[in-house]
Amino acid sequence: MADNATTPLIETRGLVKKFGSFTALNGVDLTVYPGEVHALLGDNGAGKSTLIKILSGVFKPTDGEIIVEGRPVSFASPRDATNAGIGTVYQDLALNALTSVTRNFFLGREITHFSSPFGLLKMGEMDRIATEEMAKIGINVADPNQPVGTMSGGQRQTLAIARAIYFGAKVLILDEPTSALGQKQQMEVLKTIRKVQKLGDIAIILITHNEIHARLIADRFTFLSLGEVIGRGTSKELEGDDIKRLMAGGAEIGDLAKELAD
Amino acid sequence: MNSSASTRQESDRLASKSWLKSLLARPEIGPIGVMLLLFGMLGYFSIPAGEFSLNPFAGEGFNALGIRNNLRVIAQLGIIALGAGLLIIAGEFDLSIGSMIGFAGACMAMVLRWGFAIVIPYISFEGGMHVEFFTLFYIDNVSPIGAIMITMCFTLFFGWLQGFIVVRSGLPSFIVTLGGLFFLRGLTEVSLRAFNHRPDQTKGATTVTELPDIKNIIDVPGHGEMERESAKALPEADLMAILKDVPADTIASITERLQYTAQRVADAKTQIMATKGVKPLERALENAIESGNETMAETIRNKIDTFVVNPVVPKEITDIDVARAYIDSISSARPIANFFGGDILEPIFDFLYFPVDWNTNNFGNQFAPGLYSCVMIWVILAILCYVVLSRTQAGNWIYSTGGNLQAAKANGVPTDRVKISLFVFSAFCATIFATCQVFEVNTADAAKGNLKELEAIAAAVIGGIVMTGGFGTVVGIIVGAFIFGLAKEAFFYIPGIDGSFYRVFLGLVIIASALLNENIRKRIMGTL
Repeated sequence: MADNATTPLIETRGLVKKFGSFTALNGVDLTVYPGEVHALLGDNGAGKSTLIKILSGVFKPTDGEIIVEGRPVSFASPRDATNAGIGTVYQDLALNALTSVTRNFFLGREITHFSSPFGLLKMGEMDRIATEEMAKIGINVADPNQPVGTMSGGQRQTLAIARAIYFGAKVLILDEPTSALGQKQQMEVLKTIRKVQKLGDIAIILITHNEIHARLIADRFTFLSLGEVIGRGTSKELEGDDIKRLMAGGAEIGDLAKELAD
Repeated sequence: MNSSASTRQESDRLASKSWLKSLLARPEIGPIGVMLLLFGMLGYFSIPAGEFSLNPFAGEGFNALGIRNNLRVIAQLGIIALGAGLLIIAGEFDLSIGSMIGFAGACMAMVLRWGFAIVIPYISFEGGMHVEFFTLFYIDNVSPIGAIMITMCFTLFFGWLQGFIVVRSGLPSFIVTLGGLFFLRGLTEVSLRAFNHRPDQTKGATTVTELPDIKNIIDVPGHGEMERESAKALPEADLMAILKDVPADTIASITERLQYTAQRVADAKTQIMATKGVKPLERALENAIESGNETMAETIRNKIDTFVVNPVVPKEITDIDVARAYIDSISSARPIANFFGGDILEPIFDFLYFPVDWNTNNFGNQFAPGLYSCVMIWVILAILCYVVLSRTQAGNWIYSTGGNLQAAKANGVPTDRVKISLFVFSAFCATIFATCQVFEVNTADAAKGNLKELEAIAAAVIGGIVMTGGFGTVVGIIVGAFIFGLAKEAFFYIPGIDGSFYRVFLGLVIIASALLNENIRKRIMGTL
């Protein structure tokens, strides 16, 4: 699947981001194909967050270009990125825990009878769509009117992902989707990612610290360290120790073991 | 892993909640309980002493006049509680509501009394340097709708300004509107003193009186527009002339109505006389029985049994009475003033005067002409707010702005616009409150609306609004206003208790409600 794709869905070439005299990214190339899960790995401060903030339109790059489906783009705001088909699911998920699943699913893009903020909501239609869309990627909501606060962390992730997909995301950026969850819920999220992957035409950029999760689910890896790419490859090309080594920013695990033993 | 465990889903855990539990998670359930308690109290304590009635609501708290007065207090509070409550749901406060009421009332009354002008001050050097004013335009005789519009321009702008400062500066709305509270109250007093003084006074008054009773201006045939009371005081010849053009069946029904009232009044008088006449005999009977004088007791008993008073003869209905009653029935020539300050449901209250004693006072007259118009305005506003908050996109935006501001922004909700609009709406509600008051009582006072902002916030909290925002319903706000108003009234009906205990009670209710609200919020957030 991923290997056969010809046109990358999203591509960055020589992306540079400087904050004053500090260089956060120093010429990063990233290529993501439709239908693949692309794990973006690296230690704290490697530049992962800066990269996804540029991709989701929060920051403007100092240099380099972003190419979406073969066309160079430039984002002035997160809105532009969303319109270009890049959906970002942040760690805090951008959900209002006090209101219902449906109201969160359509937050900011409600379906109304007249196109006015005072137009009546089409609650029935919205309930139906929210339930269907979440079922597509694996969660049956018992009651679309239940407050989001009563849902588990895994279900909230699913809601946020389903919402991004429904509103036209072709590239889904997941920022540490498993970091704040318990074991069982982490598995739920991974299953959800797998379901999205099986839809075939959506690319997922997965930012994670968890090497096991990355190996379970990712088709392709890119490793960042100190603002530069220090390694990349498909899951077949990389062996277990490579991944461990590259995640630690290129340090040899063997060296580390020796150091700890002293 | 066994199969039953693997088919179990996260959502199944929620479904096991019983209906009772889900009912208890409704934000309005606590307040509705308190409201029913207060209804009971008001009903029970308003039963007249020594009388037993199967209908606990027959007492003074729930007769026509009681309903009229209680609902007025509740509706007035309810109007501003809607503005305050919606703003709190969006995560902000408005402490300037009370001052806004005073400002709006004073502004409206001044415009009604002296007209409206825009002047440009400039420095003149002719005959020594001094400030002169160039009048750009001046409208005398502003209509009620004009006065309301002019006032709205000022108050809505001020509401917008407060909202603008809050969203742009990021300052807590508590501080910004606290500034508004002092600023507006001061501005009201200053401008009243500046404009409102007679030539012989050095300092002006902070009240506007001598406004005509605008809602009662009527078009009297042959006399033009005049106040109802002065029309009724016209010379008898004029009154007879007015009556000449009235259709016969109207006169007949007015006459019949007046005769009915006269009969009721006469019956009531007869009743009073009978009670008064029998009382000394009853006392004598008691004495006789106590002293053991059987013959005397028997004689008195006979006297009581045969006691009759001559029925009072009903008052004769003259043509002048009919003419005055006809003038009472002419509808207002100022429908806008009447809309805000008049009465509603008059036909129903009129109708209920006939069959039952509910709308009849001790002297046989009709108790209440109807409900205050502010009740209707409250109902209209409450329905609008309910629809907007629960059924529209704007409502979802309000909830999310207060519930999780960052999430709302990330999803493209114009949170700044939501907040500013609600500050404007809060000012709108305060202005409506003031409008009703001005047209009801035809006066304005710089001290009007004092502490109303806190009452409004209290009513909202009692009704289940969480102070941190994002949670609450319009039904809750309505119930909160009911509780506040009912408590204010109910405690005055408890015999032998200081009426101010209602404040003690409300204080406890507010704290209890806030605790309950927080509990419900946590249960919904899943942290409890």
